[in-house]
Amino acid sequence: MDDIDAMFSDLLGEMDLLTQSLGESTEPLPPPLPSAQKEVNFSIGFTDLNESLNELEDNDLDALMNDLMADLNASEEKLAAEIEGLKPAPTPGPPQSAQLAPKGPGPELLPPTPSLPSPASPQSGRSSTVTSPASSTNSPLPPPQASKPTMEEIEAQMKADKIKLALEKLKEAKVKKLVVKVLLNDGSSKTLMVDERQIVREVLENMFEKTHCDCNVDWSLCETNHELQLERLFEDHENMVEPLLAWTRDSENQVLFKEMPEKYEVFKNPQNFYLWKKDRKTLKDMKDKDKEILIKENFCGTSIIVPDLEGVLHLKEDGKKSWKQRLFQLRASGIYYVPKGKTKSSRDLVCFVQFDNVNVYYGQDFKTKYKAPTDFCFVLKHPQIQKESQYIKYLCCDDARTMKLWVTGIRIAKYGAALYENFKASEKKAAVSAMFSNRSSPSSSSQSTPSPTIKAKSSGQANGHAPQPSVGTIMQDLGDFPPPPPPPSLSSGHTVPHPPPASGSSSPPPPPPQSAKKNSIKLPPKHHQSSSRFPPSPHSQDPLPPPPPPPPNEDCSDAPPDFLPPPPPPASFPPPPPSVASFPPPPPLSSMPLPPPPAFDLPPPPPDPCFLPPPPQQAFTGAGAPPPPPPPPPAAAPPPGVGPKLAVRSGSLKKGPPAPPKRTTPPLHGAGGGGGGGDGDLMSELMLAMRKKRGNV
Amino acid sequence: MAVWDLSVTVEDLGADAPPVTLSVTSDLHVGGVILKLVEKTQIQQDWSDHALWWEQKQKWLLRTAWALEKYGIHADARLVFMPQHKPLKLGLPNGKTIRLLASFSSPVFQTVTGICRMLNIRHPEELSLLRPIEEKRKKKEKDMSEELYDITMVPLSSASRPCMYNGMPAHFADSADMEAVYKMLSMTQPPPAPEVVAKQYRPASVVDKAHINGRWLDSSRSLLQQGIQENDRLWLRFKYYSFYDIEPKYDVVRLTQLYEQARWAILLEDIDCTEEEMMLFGALQYHISKVAQSEPQLLASAAAMDDLDSALQSLEVKLEGESSSASEMLDNMTAPELNDYLKIFRPKRLTLKGYKLYWVKFKDTSISYFKSKEECFGEPIQQINLKGCEVAPDVNVAANKFLIRLLIPSPEGMNEVYLRCEDEQQYAQWMAACRLASKGKSLADSSYQSEIQSICSFLAMQKTNSGSHGKTPAADESINTYSLVSPRYHKKYKAKQLTPRILDAYQNVSLLTLTDAVMRFLQIWQSLPDFGLSYVVVRFKGSRKDEVLGIAPNKLIRIDLGVGDVVKTWRYNNMKQWNVNWDIKQMAIEFEGNVNIAFSCVTADCKIVHEFIGGYIFMSTRSREKSDTLNEELFHKLTGGHEAL
Repeated sequence: MDDIDAMFSDLLGEMDLLTQSLGESTEPLPPPLPSAQKEVNFSIGFTDLNESLNELEDNDLDALMNDLMADLNASEEKLAAEIEGLKPAPTPGPPQSAQLAPKGPGPELLPPTPSLPSPASPQSGRSSTVTSPASSTNSPLPPPQASKPTMEEIEAQMKADKIKLALEKLKEAKVKKLVVKVLLNDGSSKTLMVDERQIVREVLENMFEKTHCDCNVDWSLCETNHELQLERLFEDHENMVEPLLAWTRDSENQVLFKEMPEKYEVFKNPQNFYLWKKDRKTLKDMKDKDKEILIKENFCGTSIIVPDLEGVLHLKEDGKKSWKQRLFQLRASGIYYVPKGKTKSSRDLVCFVQFDNVNVYYGQDFKTKYKAPTDFCFVLKHPQIQKESQYIKYLCCDDARTMKLWVTGIRIAKYGAALYENFKASEKKAAVSAMFSNRSSPSSSSQSTPSPTIKAKSSGQANGHAPQPSVGTIMQDLGDFPPPPPPPSLSSGHTVPHPPPASGSSSPPPPPPQSAKKNSIKLPPKHHQSSSRFPPSPHSQDPLPPPPPPPPNEDCSDAPPDFLPPPPPPASFPPPPPSVASFPPPPPLSSMPLPPPPAFDLPPPPPDPCFLPPPPQQAFTGAGAPPPPPPPPPAAAPPPGVGPKLAVRSGSLKKGPPAPPKRTTPPLHGAGGGGGGGDGDLMSELMLAMRKKRGNV
Repeated sequence: MAVWDLSVTVEDLGADAPPVTLSVTSDLHVGGVILKLVEKTQIQQDWSDHALWWEQKQKWLLRTAWALEKYGIHADARLVFMPQHKPLKLGLPNGKTIRLLASFSSPVFQTVTGICRMLNIRHPEELSLLRPIEEKRKKKEKDMSEELYDITMVPLSSASRPCMYNGMPAHFADSADMEAVYKMLSMTQPPPAPEVVAKQYRPASVVDKAHINGRWLDSSRSLLQQGIQENDRLWLRFKYYSFYDIEPKYDVVRLTQLYEQARWAILLEDIDCTEEEMMLFGALQYHISKVAQSEPQLLASAAAMDDLDSALQSLEVKLEGESSSASEMLDNMTAPELNDYLKIFRPKRLTLKGYKLYWVKFKDTSISYFKSKEECFGEPIQQINLKGCEVAPDVNVAANKFLIRLLIPSPEGMNEVYLRCEDEQQYAQWMAACRLASKGKSLADSSYQSEIQSICSFLAMQKTNSGSHGKTPAADESINTYSLVSPRYHKKYKAKQLTPRILDAYQNVSLLTLTDAVMRFLQIWQSLPDFGLSYVVVRFKGSRKDEVLGIAPNKLIRIDLGVGDVVKTWRYNNMKQWNVNWDIKQMAIEFEGNVNIAFSCVTADCKIVHEFIGGYIFMSTRSREKSDTLNEELFHKLTGGHEAL
């Protein structure tokens, strides 16, 4: 115990120092919540923190602050729990405070801060940390409740728990966190906190949440090396922090978030890689079935098959300026070349490089930099090498296609099955979000931008704890979308229903995916349930608020029963319920094979009675004119058969106005105006709700 | 109806016994003939496995309900009455020979199925029988015969799955001898002596490799029809390189034999690989044979635990016992260190001339060095983190040289650092530490001790090698490195040069379990570019020279013998149909897009080629739902040609 104490006090001392230095920098820490100020210890690795903080843009800081606050809140609660349980344990005290790792000049990361992290923080929840919260909360309790263990046992137990906790904290204390600035295509940037245990996939999900992009499989995080003019996309299963730690202090390296079609192209068009020798037309006309077979052959067997690449590439001689041609061959075990005067038989090949210790990078503008024959260059080097070195292998291809072949081939050889696993995971994610966006986009132009405040908060959480967005977060996100567009006249009716959107939106975050998926499939029947599950259910009007007003259209499913808008609209609705019927027309994004449950698709239609299949926007307009067009026929029919809930809804729709709206939202009624006004209200409501929620939690 | 005499030779009466003559009518069915025959011989025994064989027509009369007339049998027919199952000497992929009863009357496909059932190999459709290569066989036959494993006493059974007992088929559990047979089947063999490898036939070219494929038996005809006699020798091999649903739990024998076949393919250069790949195969063979000795069964042992997990666990264990103080716990947690005087040399740094003695401390994944032991509490001269570095051995036991070469990455490039150790023990400890550190593991890792051990045993190997230049066959600990690589490398490298190279490859596989190592070996084998190719020399229609057709699990390739290069590839999934003209022995294949090819087969019967293609298509139709029952009919349809229909 003494040791632990000593360690903690050491750490504390360090933190204090850092805090002081922080204090001097006025800018950075403006908004720390009161509680935060009290408890938070800033731990910072670099002394030049101030400087780096100054470099941060204000909004970055804000976002960061929000992240941190979210962390704090979580950790506070946790701490409270812990403290109760652990009174006797001396250890817990200091560490409890959440740590702030403010920092960073743009791209660079802050060095790992030996912070005493709040174990409980959501993020930690994901990985190993999970244990800590559990143990801390649970363990303390058990003894008392347990059927009378002897005092000794209890004591022993408590001691054990304390020790465990201490160990966990120690472990946690070692966890590095980096603040990473990620550049987007449009020149803007997002700032994230990345935990050393996080993999790229998790960070990507964070970015999805922050940017509201379409989550397609091409989105990638890349690192650029300014000095060497290199770029490399991170594979989804890679650890995020590790490569960043290799950057030098003063490097101008950056992390980019952008779409890289080549990331998974091999799974979309395997023939381009595995049958690259065939003529272009054959490749282009490749049937889907044949593509599947190729993938199966090469990625689903006992071993991963690497495309058999062979060709002349230009190699930059070690330390020289000249480029020399050599006949290279790619094999699962590495890249080889055929020595002069030898045959191509395997036994004569000379190993050029094996992949265990190198990564493959794209070279940029090497024609200028190294007088390369073309600009289609790639580089193999140890990830830690950041500057010119004889240990870097420079290769140059004749054209872009050849380069893509080689780089992809090398990735397959190096990462093997992981690549395919990554792809499947991304595809799943993309499908879910496509469904979601289908649905949401129609409902409102909302996609756009959520109110800043809300966003900040939500994103904040997301950041800190990328992995496990709490329900709350999800809701908030949803909230963003919805608010804007309360549809006009129809809208009144619609307002009710947010639930659907919520569920849909929930999907994006990690945990939700499953639920989302399920929902989608079973949606029609279960719809009710799912919606109710989420806090924001319209009826309940939970504090969770964010969702309620927003997504008018989508709600339809649930909505009808509770608040039916004016009769007319309902009539128009018909389409939605019968998922099947509606199904075909609506889903613009249908590209996904997923069975977009009717629910999702449906949402859009309701608003505009006129067009069944109508894309969301149309829906809006349509909404204005309630009854007109005959709803999609099929839709109507199916509903009855469907689960009771649907039936209700459908019934109302078909039969017109059956369920009178219990409550009408006047403001919404006004077509255009409604939207705007609603927004403001929504926002404040959301805020309130959030706060409440926080408090509750 | 006229009665006539039919003479039948009854094998059981002995070779010299005169044929038995029966009076029969043409409408007597085969069953009736057999009945008469048995009555006439007056021998009491189980005749149920016997059947009539029509010698002139090379045909079994298996349909007992058919009348003689229907078979077209007249008085001039010479029939033989004999058992359908006879002993066969079967060369297994692992080089051992087993004697067992095989069906001489059913199509080879079924015969193989029966054999595999007896040997407990799943998916018999992937294997087949071939005639062995004759050369050098005569000399060897004498010593080989001693090694014969005889299981002809195993009763024939028709159960599709043998019942298991003690993890092996019940018939192997009967006696110690049988258990020994099963052990031979299910455990990998120690590396062969280099002389054995050197003596074996090695194909020198693609054409040589093509010749072996002319030896496959026809799956749709019986052994006897193909001239195989009782006690003849055949090889059992995996023929179709499309291994379905490998499950180490059930496939102990299958995996072992597959590994053996792959190993021999590598050693005999039946499949080409690069030097680096050869070293890795060598390292895996070494590891497999070593683990197989210590680990009796193909069972996976628990993977190495994460160090912290293990620390926590041991903590728990401790807590249950005496109450120990937290500081003790912490002691447990603190990583072990290595401290010693070592000589360090940094080639790139001109400041250090030659090796200089330092006090070196190894902790976590870093090395720190100090001028002397006394200064070790101060600032080190330098601290080097080994994570991600490359570690290469440079050892010569005879010359007492124990060098660890480290290539350490830094932003500026790689820095070379050499550590020179005094003796084996010190070297093994530091080397193991460096290896673990390069993978980001600390000394606390559970694999540290085993890493040290494997380094020591490898060094021991080098010792024996340098002593008696590989004369002694593999005995326990001392495995000759020449046993692990193909003879080509015997010439290229001296044993002591080979050892460090294999050791180098070995560091990446030294912690695998037996099953994992076998699987890894198979995976690397399967990812070789030439894997799965069976060659046949053919002559394409309109071409005047011989070319080679490579038959792969998913495609056909055309290889120009002059260039030695693949000139064309056709995939089966583009294939519309294929035909065989049995008269002119030509195969014609039509692919989508109006692509037609035709060729005659030079080194193999076109039935063999036909069967290969049909067989691979059959293999691709297998699916999980149907995997339990083999669709033999489909197989014959795809591979049988006109005879089967």
